[in-house]
Amino acid sequence: MDLRLTEAQSKLQKEIRDFLESIKKTGEYPFTNDSLQLVFSPEFSQRLAEKGWIGIAWPKEFGGQGAGYLERCIILEELLKSGAPVGYHYLADRQVGPGIIHFGSDFLKDEFLQKMLNAQVSFCLLFSEPNAGSDLAACETTAVEEGDYFIINGQKTWTSHGHSADYGWGLMRTSFDSGTPRHNAFSEILINMKTPGIIIRPVINMVGLHSFNEVFFDNVKIHKKYLIGEKGNGFRQIMTNLVYERATIDRLIQNYSTKEALFEYVKNTEKNGVPLSKDPLIRDGLARLEVEFQVGRKYIYYVTTLLDDGKIPDYEAAIGKNFCTLFEAKLSDLATNIMGLHGLIMPESPEVLFKGIVAESYLMSPSYTLQGGSVEILKNIISKRGLKLASK
Amino acid sequence: MNFNFSKDQIILRKSAREFIKKEIPASLVRELLVDEKGYSPKVWEKMAELGWLGIAIDEEFGGIGADFMDLAILFEELGRGAVPSPFFSTVLLGGFLLQNHASEELKNRYLPKIVEGKSIITAAISDEKGFYGKNHVGITAKNSNGSYLLSGSVLFVSHANVSDMIICAAKMDSNNTGITLFAVDRKAKGLTATPLKTIFGNYIDYSIALDNVMVSPEMIIGEECKGWDYIEKIWPLIITAQSCECVGGMQKVMDMTRDYLNGRIQFGKPLSALQIVQHMSVDMFTKVETSKLTAHSAAWSISEGLDSENEAAIAKSWCAEAYKDVTKIAHQVTGAIGFTEEYDLHLYTKSAKKLELLFGDGAYQRKVVADKLGL
Repeated sequence: MDLRLTEAQSKLQKEIRDFLESIKKTGEYPFTNDSLQLVFSPEFSQRLAEKGWIGIAWPKEFGGQGAGYLERCIILEELLKSGAPVGYHYLADRQVGPGIIHFGSDFLKDEFLQKMLNAQVSFCLLFSEPNAGSDLAACETTAVEEGDYFIINGQKTWTSHGHSADYGWGLMRTSFDSGTPRHNAFSEILINMKTPGIIIRPVINMVGLHSFNEVFFDNVKIHKKYLIGEKGNGFRQIMTNLVYERATIDRLIQNYSTKEALFEYVKNTEKNGVPLSKDPLIRDGLARLEVEFQVGRKYIYYVTTLLDDGKIPDYEAAIGKNFCTLFEAKLSDLATNIMGLHGLIMPESPEVLFKGIVAESYLMSPSYTLQGGSVEILKNIISKRGLKLASK
Repeated sequence: MNFNFSKDQIILRKSAREFIKKEIPASLVRELLVDEKGYSPKVWEKMAELGWLGIAIDEEFGGIGADFMDLAILFEELGRGAVPSPFFSTVLLGGFLLQNHASEELKNRYLPKIVEGKSIITAAISDEKGFYGKNHVGITAKNSNGSYLLSGSVLFVSHANVSDMIICAAKMDSNNTGITLFAVDRKAKGLTATPLKTIFGNYIDYSIALDNVMVSPEMIIGEECKGWDYIEKIWPLIITAQSCECVGGMQKVMDMTRDYLNGRIQFGKPLSALQIVQHMSVDMFTKVETSKLTAHSAAWSISEGLDSENEAAIAKSWCAEAYKDVTKIAHQVTGAIGFTEEYDLHLYTKSAKKLELLFGDGAYQRKVVADKLGL
């Protein structure tokens, strides 16, 4: 056991911190007050690309740095703490790149990996559908083979960044034989979002923000060379892909500034002439949050080391994500309560504190425990894979 | 960064688990909970033979001088067996306080005997109400003709009756603030120990009372008035060892409960096939998995000689409440059989509550965390 960062990792951590501090000061890039919205900025992503910080965990033979997921975690933690606009390269780095490396053809590797590393292409995920939310294998969007092409028809939804991404990573039904088991009926296809026949409509979330979309496919023609991996293997591939999505520190750190704001507030706000931070109940509540934050952070770093050992941490990633999203939801609830009426004031309002991130985080909180697999779906995975409970 | 145990540590854990399974089965635990000694001398002797009692004691006193992680592994396995024994008080409280601070004479007097299994040590550091902290020391020491007279009482002292020596924390009468640690002979005149019937045993914990017990100055551990510093120094070790015990216990509860749920048929299928039961079990499992990492990290930090005050407080705060919660969910999914004397679950339910409260509950530990946050 050795829980220290290596010298090189500590150096990397310092380097990225210094880099972010100086680049933030220039005011040239759209940093946010929190990291709840992953803002698109190809220019910012390109600056990271120049540093070699996109695809740092990918193998060298595919143009990555051949460093570990731990290094990626170190970088991501700092990026999200600083509110950096990472949206443009985010999915490429996190799961599309690793997905292509795992399953993609030589053509796809040549076509996309270098572009991802240079921050010249962005992605969205086309998984959920109106009738296939938690039950992903109920997807109905079809990709029918016609010569060298797939003809795609149907509808995807909850597509984050669908309106700005260049390509979509889609799960499509490619087998229509009723004898085919559900889990063998799907394939993954990369879809250029500018292809004729694609219509994208915004969906406004309850915070009032345009964060996701509905995407309609009307006879969309995609060449078969954009098939990822094997035909019929899409569902299994996606399960691996989702491990990469869940095995990261995002959910813990995207609310880092909410936690910082809360701590600052209790230290600097007096009630009956005493700082709130001296109130025993508040101290216990905040220490409880800190304990959970530290436990969650440790767990995510542990999951990261499993990835670096070449394992696919399916249930561990699910535990980590559940733990962290539940933490986030608690954090924003406690923060609004402690800040009292100020906890109701939204960004840009008069009298707002901390630019409204606490109220915004609270309104975002129902999504934390849903996205990337709801708490309950993940519990099903943990029960089966981790705990090995009999299901029949 | 890696969270893996070394080969030697894995072997130690395996042999400890086998030993406890064979030598201290649940049937013996039940006997010890009502036994007048509160431990098994036969098993204690075997622990000495295995080198466990000297695992943290330097080689010059006959010990092994292993690092804290090895000790942490033993605590975890003892927790897994819910073993009542003076191991904690002797090896951790006695061993570390003596080894870190006592005079050569006291070390030579006690440490080799601890290693050989011939001396049981305990400590009395709280007050008559069972509160912890330097303002809650229940014994007072008065200087009298070059010796000290100790008077007062302490609510909870583990295995006081079978101990040879009790390390007593005492407020110095002369300056009211300083606390000194005295090595007090169990048979000293004026010292009485009364067994407490607690949720975890009838003769394991004692309240002790001292009435002008005379102690000579050479029995002071370390320097006068530095006693509380010494206790604070081993506090992270105390609560990390407890956290490891919690981890071992909750892991056992998880294993028992999983087996039960997979085997128990209701509505024509195993209970484990019910989604509500699966989700409750996952809540247990999540607590177990996160507690393991947290306790092991704290133990690693101590092993490496790093400042571990916050890390240990986080571990105890998390693990002790997790252990208790795990037993609660286990009871709910196990049903009536879990409420019986014959089923082993209650041994853990009781041990969990005891570990939670001894040396400060979650709220107590979170005060440390809050302080460290600058609140």
